Amino acid sequence: MKTSPAPASVYRAAEGLGLWEHRGKVAAVGVGHSPTFRRWDGTPANSVGGISLEALRRAIDDAGVDPADIDGLVMDPSTTTGAFWPKGKPLPWEAINAYNRTDDPLDGITGLSAEWILANMPQLNRIEFTTYGVGCMSNAICVAAQAIGNGRAHTCLVLKSWHNLEGRYYQGGANAGNAIPGSSAIRSLWGTPACFGTAVQFAEYCRKYGKSHDMMAPFIENSRKNGLKFPEGYWAQHRPEEITPEDYEAARWIAKPANLFDNDMPIMVSAAYLFTTAERARHLKQKPVYILNHATSRTRPRSLTPTLDEVEEDTARTARKIYEGAGITADDLSFENMYDGFALFHQFHIEGLGYRGLKFGEALDFYQTDISISGPNPVSPSGGNIGCGRSRFWMHTDCIQQLQHRAGARQVTGVKPEIAVSGGPMPVGGNYMVWSATPD
Amino acid sequence: MERYAGLRRTILISFDIDGTLEEGDPPGILAIDFVREAQKDGFVVGSCSDRPISAQRAMWERHGIEVDFAVSKHMLAEVKSQFSADVYYHIGDREDLDKRVAEQAGFAFLWPHEALAKPWHKASFRR
Repeated sequence: MKTSPAPASVYRAAEGLGLWEHRGKVAAVGVGHSPTFRRWDGTPANSVGGISLEALRRAIDDAGVDPADIDGLVMDPSTTTGAFWPKGKPLPWEAINAYNRTDDPLDGITGLSAEWILANMPQLNRIEFTTYGVGCMSNAICVAAQAIGNGRAHTCLVLKSWHNLEGRYYQGGANAGNAIPGSSAIRSLWGTPACFGTAVQFAEYCRKYGKSHDMMAPFIENSRKNGLKFPEGYWAQHRPEEITPEDYEAARWIAKPANLFDNDMPIMVSAAYLFTTAERARHLKQKPVYILNHATSRTRPRSLTPTLDEVEEDTARTARKIYEGAGITADDLSFENMYDGFALFHQFHIEGLGYRGLKFGEALDFYQTDISISGPNPVSPSGGNIGCGRSRFWMHTDCIQQLQHRAGARQVTGVKPEIAVSGGPMPVGGNYMVWSATPD
Repeated sequence: MERYAGLRRTILISFDIDGTLEEGDPPGILAIDFVREAQKDGFVVGSCSDRPISAQRAMWERHGIEVDFAVSKHMLAEVKSQFSADVYYHIGDREDLDKRVAEQAGFAFLWPHEALAKPWHKASFRR
């Protein structure tokens, strides 16, 4: 039987659900990352399947778990950064045939099924539960946490991988055609770059609160600095370049007021985590990081892109869900790692959270204060997508590593790492996780 | 200054980095020595890239080349207004982000392989 997406019932999308019933009873233990690459080089080992196997192996080793004890796999079958295999281009048979195949030859190249993973990791021979958390790691970790809490699995790998091919992204797939199938023509924005919706919201934000784009510079500078301290990240591995305020202000517009450095860069990368029960976690190699809650936003905007009012309404609602299920308040957060895969919406996330008492319209002023990892108010200590490349999972890895005191040069020093929140992607519509150094 | 075909002209060359120079990500076909030699021959040289300007400068510094300018992709017109030259070239690998930008700024555009075929290019600069 083929693996299916998780049902809607596993997500905590509503307000008023009370404390999460599995609060503190599920833990993250192991972390494994593949190397990063700007684009696939055509070799089997660096295909999205190849790097996924590498990330999984590393997570298993990191946790110190016997593969035969692993009984669950939650992952995202979609791996595209916006790159698709061009129609008519010969298939990469050398890479395809280097692994055990499924009925889709591009499985492991431009997509990834649980069946492909299991066919190529014979050591995972006790897996009885597989499901998909579609979209990004934020989704998959919520699904995995709930699955362990519900007893569907006791030791579960969580996987998210990305492929990027040569050429420009967002130029293939449906975008390459002369017509848009189905109702996409009236559901999607036409002719705009991906950051356009966020740029519109940010423009309105600046107008409403009297702020300006250059006030984002300290956030960008801080994110890249943190990212360069993330050895698993693309920029740290390949191009250790800082972004100064002068660099930021000199960058070209992509969709004004969103410039080049407000956008992340697509890369090839894979990450895997090992989740288990709190009880089992105590006997594994790494310090357990307990999950206090997961929460989800399924809000649908009234039109093609959410208005600023809708964004603020929803981030506040998401925060209420996050805090209610975890049994915490904003004051309990040691740091935040909300998504930044357009930099210009990070402030929507943290204002909604009320991080460090922030109210709507205050985050850009907050960015002018000490937001570094050594200060009392760390912002995005992972560096996020801006600091490490497009993956949508640096924030989760960082929360785990910070609470395990394994973040190395990135370790927060201005606060004691006890409780953290991460999640995304978009401020309207996303999945969020509350992590804790202790189960209660 | 540079001489060929009996003329003496000032030539400015703007180099894209990624996909154009061997230092690029992805690497291009133009060696850094191409830039070094062009500068020695009296050309006005610099980079015009999507890389942060500080990263462009750091790259040139690593190679011991003191470029005349390092700018973002949309700043070529400013380069033209700052430097007086007889010919302005931008060498790059992208139709939209190099060729179009160059032409809008009043630069002649060269693909990297075209640059290698120019009479002012020396065979020894080839990678």
